[in-house]
Amino acid sequence: MPPFLIALYGNLLNGAILGAVYGMMTMGLSLIFGVLRIVNVGHGAFIMVGAYTAFFLFTLYGIPPLLAVPFSFIIGMGLGALFFYTVIKRLIDSPELTTLLATFSFGVLLEEVAKLLWGPDYRGFNWEVGSLHLPFVTIPLEKLYAFLASVSMALILYIWFKKGRSGMAIRAIMEDREGASCCGINVDGMYGLSFSIGIALTVASGSLLTLFIPVGIHPYMGGIYTLKAFVIAVLGGLSSPWGAFFGGFIFGLVENGAYSLFGLVPGLEPFSMTYFAAFLILLILLLIRPEGLLGANGG
Amino acid sequence: MKIRVLLLSILLILPSIATAGEAILIGGPISLSGKYAKEGEQGFIGFKVAEKWVNEVYGGVRIGNRRVPIRYVYYDDESKKENVTSLVERLIKVDGVRFLLAPYSSGLTLAGAPVAEKYGALYMSHGGASDRIFEQGFRYVVQTIGPASSYQRSVVDMVKAIDPSARRVALLFEDSEFSRTVMMGVKGYLKEKGMKIVFERAYPRNVKDLTPVLTEMKARRPEILLGGGHFADGQLLAKQMGDLGVDVKAASILVAPTLPAFAKTLGKEANGFIAPAHWEKGVRFNRENSKGIGLGYFGPSQEWFIREFKKESGGLEPEYHAANAMASILAYVKAIELAGTTDVDRVRDAMDRLHFVPFYGEWKIDPETGKQVGHKMILIQWQKGRKEIVWPEEAQTARPCYPMASCPGR
Repeated sequence: MPPFLIALYGNLLNGAILGAVYGMMTMGLSLIFGVLRIVNVGHGAFIMVGAYTAFFLFTLYGIPPLLAVPFSFIIGMGLGALFFYTVIKRLIDSPELTTLLATFSFGVLLEEVAKLLWGPDYRGFNWEVGSLHLPFVTIPLEKLYAFLASVSMALILYIWFKKGRSGMAIRAIMEDREGASCCGINVDGMYGLSFSIGIALTVASGSLLTLFIPVGIHPYMGGIYTLKAFVIAVLGGLSSPWGAFFGGFIFGLVENGAYSLFGLVPGLEPFSMTYFAAFLILLILLLIRPEGLLGANGG
Repeated sequence: MKIRVLLLSILLILPSIATAGEAILIGGPISLSGKYAKEGEQGFIGFKVAEKWVNEVYGGVRIGNRRVPIRYVYYDDESKKENVTSLVERLIKVDGVRFLLAPYSSGLTLAGAPVAEKYGALYMSHGGASDRIFEQGFRYVVQTIGPASSYQRSVVDMVKAIDPSARRVALLFEDSEFSRTVMMGVKGYLKEKGMKIVFERAYPRNVKDLTPVLTEMKARRPEILLGGGHFADGQLLAKQMGDLGVDVKAASILVAPTLPAFAKTLGKEANGFIAPAHWEKGVRFNRENSKGIGLGYFGPSQEWFIREFKKESGGLEPEYHAANAMASILAYVKAIELAGTTDVDRVRDAMDRLHFVPFYGEWKIDPETGKQVGHKMILIQWQKGRKEIVWPEEAQTARPCYPMASCPGR
């Protein structure tokens, strides 16, 4: 097989696997926006918390990063509840700029606390569980685990959202807040739950990300993921967690596939062009389908 | 008549008052606070140890029949360019320093260079590796630290010495000025050595995933990888090479493998990785080896330097910044001795002829640009979880393991 096709095949495969984690990473952002209409600009800081959780559990207690995911989820629930009841609850109907600044400030606060506690150094670990050798491409098993965990978590969330009592209550609030309130749904409680779950998913995705990239863990690592999550969220429909999950897949494929295609053009640095491609697609989508691929409410 | 004799005597004595009566002033701005405080501290202690050796052990700079002590003069530049320019001016005009030591980093070094040039004071770069500093046409700016363009050349030398048949090289660097300078520097050298670049890519700063570029690189089947940029991306590169089963005979990555955190994180996967370094504790440049390469040795032994550094710093381990600093002062001392005077222009001329070996490695500049051309980067390689010096041969603590797959402990 020509080197280009080998590279394209490998990149698309890796892109799809990483895309699932990207999707999972963005579901929390979309859930929070869908329910509370709040854009969490501090998203990346919560991913950082998840990465540190996996790092410390592995290096201090030998807990594999995959098993760190439930711990991260619990920590995320706690952090989300704390942030919601101390700050967000008071700002729900405030102008958008207020909540934007509040989430930004909380993100910065988290980063600075992390720096204070754990220092500015890059951390990392190495959890090896073997590799899957396919023709022309090798895939580390930990990446496959991350893929499977992401898909499973998205499915659980989907079932809870569609069939669970509180999930249905949240959907009702997403459709009509006043109507839901009239039907006896505790709107504030559901807001708190949605926000906490949104943050918990984000923190858990930070742990899953370490299965792909177990190095370079540091307090300011989240910035680039915030940017990617926004692109993915818009791609899938800002208020649609499921759209966000599929958006993650598409983003992973575009990011990796575009790399191979741009690599064919002499004189181009394909890495920088992948960002160009991702944002170009985003602009086109905003122009022709601003509600995202799966629509505003998740199809 | 008596007055004439007295005046004549004063005239004869005056030049020596400027040197022997006082001391030869060597100094510069140094970053004792701000973002380069750590590197600055290393350099500062290196200078103090050098001052101690020259004055107390060596007995002062030999000028004719006299021995003249040196005095290190410094100000904290707070890692800021604007401070560097004013401090260099102050050192020259107020303190009368004619033998300047540039601050750490290429940016700060470049900031002070025009001021030194304007006043005709010698300006020694011990922490500014960028080739750009020496492409400005400065006459008085000289370099002790090896230039960025030379960083990966030792790897090519090592590979050619072990495996003359290796030809296919991949270049994979961070998209930054420093890394690009390194890459441009090695490209010409590879061609000179008859090697073929089969893959060449740059990746953005703060990259989080190198899978696409490594997948592409793997398909080109390179034998040698030269790459990296800073710590985080270098570590990611090494980690994902292992993940994707990228198998090369030698992989040399900038910066990351020189730090213990590299092996601490990657474990056995770190074994086999190479990195260029200016100096490492344990490097074997000494009187015996320098005879072997036909050059004169000058300065203290490495053991003396490490011992005194620890004493001066209260237990810190010396890093290459400190060794660079000490070598810079030794070069000034040797050049003044060779010139036989403290006249700046004559010392600068002497530097063109100066070629010696301190414990830091060879010192020789290019007369045209002042760029360091004698100092060869040493290569470190992780073997069985230990950082070994594998190149050049005269500095080795272990033989290089090649191909890297055969590396013990990998």
